[in-house]
Amino acid sequence: MKIAVDGMGGDFAPEEIVKGAVAGAREYGVEIALVGPEERMRQELAGHDCSGTVIEVVNASQWLVEGEHPGFALRQKRDASIVVATKLVKVRKADAVISAGPTGGVVAAALVILGTLEGMSRPVVGGPFLGFAPNTIMMDLGSNVDCQPHQLLDFAIVGTVYARRMLGIKDPSVALLSIGAEEGKGNEQVRETYPLLQKCGLNFIGQVEGYDIASGRANVIICDGFVGNIVVKFGETLGKTIGRWLEDRIAGRLPESEVREIVADLVLATNAADARGGGPLWAVDGVACVSHGRSRAEEIARTIGQARLAVEQDLVGALKTELAAARRKLGMPDM
Amino acid sequence: MSVEVEETVKKIIARILRKSDLDFSPTATFKDLEADSLDIVQILIAIEDAYDIEIQDEALEGVSNMGDFIDHIERRIAEKG
Repeated sequence: MKIAVDGMGGDFAPEEIVKGAVAGAREYGVEIALVGPEERMRQELAGHDCSGTVIEVVNASQWLVEGEHPGFALRQKRDASIVVATKLVKVRKADAVISAGPTGGVVAAALVILGTLEGMSRPVVGGPFLGFAPNTIMMDLGSNVDCQPHQLLDFAIVGTVYARRMLGIKDPSVALLSIGAEEGKGNEQVRETYPLLQKCGLNFIGQVEGYDIASGRANVIICDGFVGNIVVKFGETLGKTIGRWLEDRIAGRLPESEVREIVADLVLATNAADARGGGPLWAVDGVACVSHGRSRAEEIARTIGQARLAVEQDLVGALKTELAAARRKLGMPDM
Repeated sequence: MSVEVEETVKKIIARILRKSDLDFSPTATFKDLEADSLDIVQILIAIEDAYDIEIQDEALEGVSNMGDFIDHIERRIAEKG
């Protein structure tokens, strides 16, 4: 199995990305296609022990930069590392692609090069992000900032498949995130999405509020990527902030090692996404995994592990099958 | 306006927007067609690949509807020679 790694994606590229690629290759027993400016990639690799790994360098002379409009960047930078890496998957020279680059660019590259599964208009990022609620996933966590109601319905279908296949939940409950639990409370997008979810045949339990995210009340919480991204980043920072606060408060009252362990557990419980590494971009016709822009080598290596799992589990094939089944059940037209 | 270019552009837009019954009048805008920014990226890339041309973003600032858009594409094709 070969995983294409965007060597220039992320705040700490290429150093941490290359380090993570080497670690991932060794830990997960996969081949790596490291994509980026060839000389620079080789320079970085030279600083690591690559024995026992198979890592090829694939040249890409450009890369995306945070803040660039993804559409503009993709059209103007046809030799960008994420473009080249994603094309490797398209032409089956790699089984999956991973990137910590700008999410918009990674999503756009996947959309344009790999395309979405039939019936899905947009890729979506989601999964469990709070250790406190391991059976609660949220979609979308940032790949689509402006969504139409039918796209939120798509997310609900994907989330249901995720919960069923990855979490083993037989009949996942689906809820729509809003500012109130009562039907009709929310913005226009929420009000228009509600009846779609109500009639779609999924286990829709209505609207949930911010309070309910950590409670485990729903297995699949649906929102657009603008809201989802804010929520997940808030949760991550809150965990780390409380961790530091706790360290100050209980230092001296408990052995230092115990304090460190408690704080580490807290951070993990609020950063489940980091703990498992980046996750697959769902509804794309190929395995593309997105890692946090601030990913270090450890997160990159874990994302490689997630990519390997997605390929081994044939998540794309499984999602195609279950999307078709869900649509038939919902009486939606075959795409 | 070239019929061939118009038909090709219409097919590309219909495929990307997944709308078989596209109402493609010269006065329609991307917003009328319910194309968002990612749809537009895909459309532009598909047209650039189809005709081996480059469409500069700055030049699109003066484009207000499908008629203008197709005229612009035809000019780019003619400039390419």
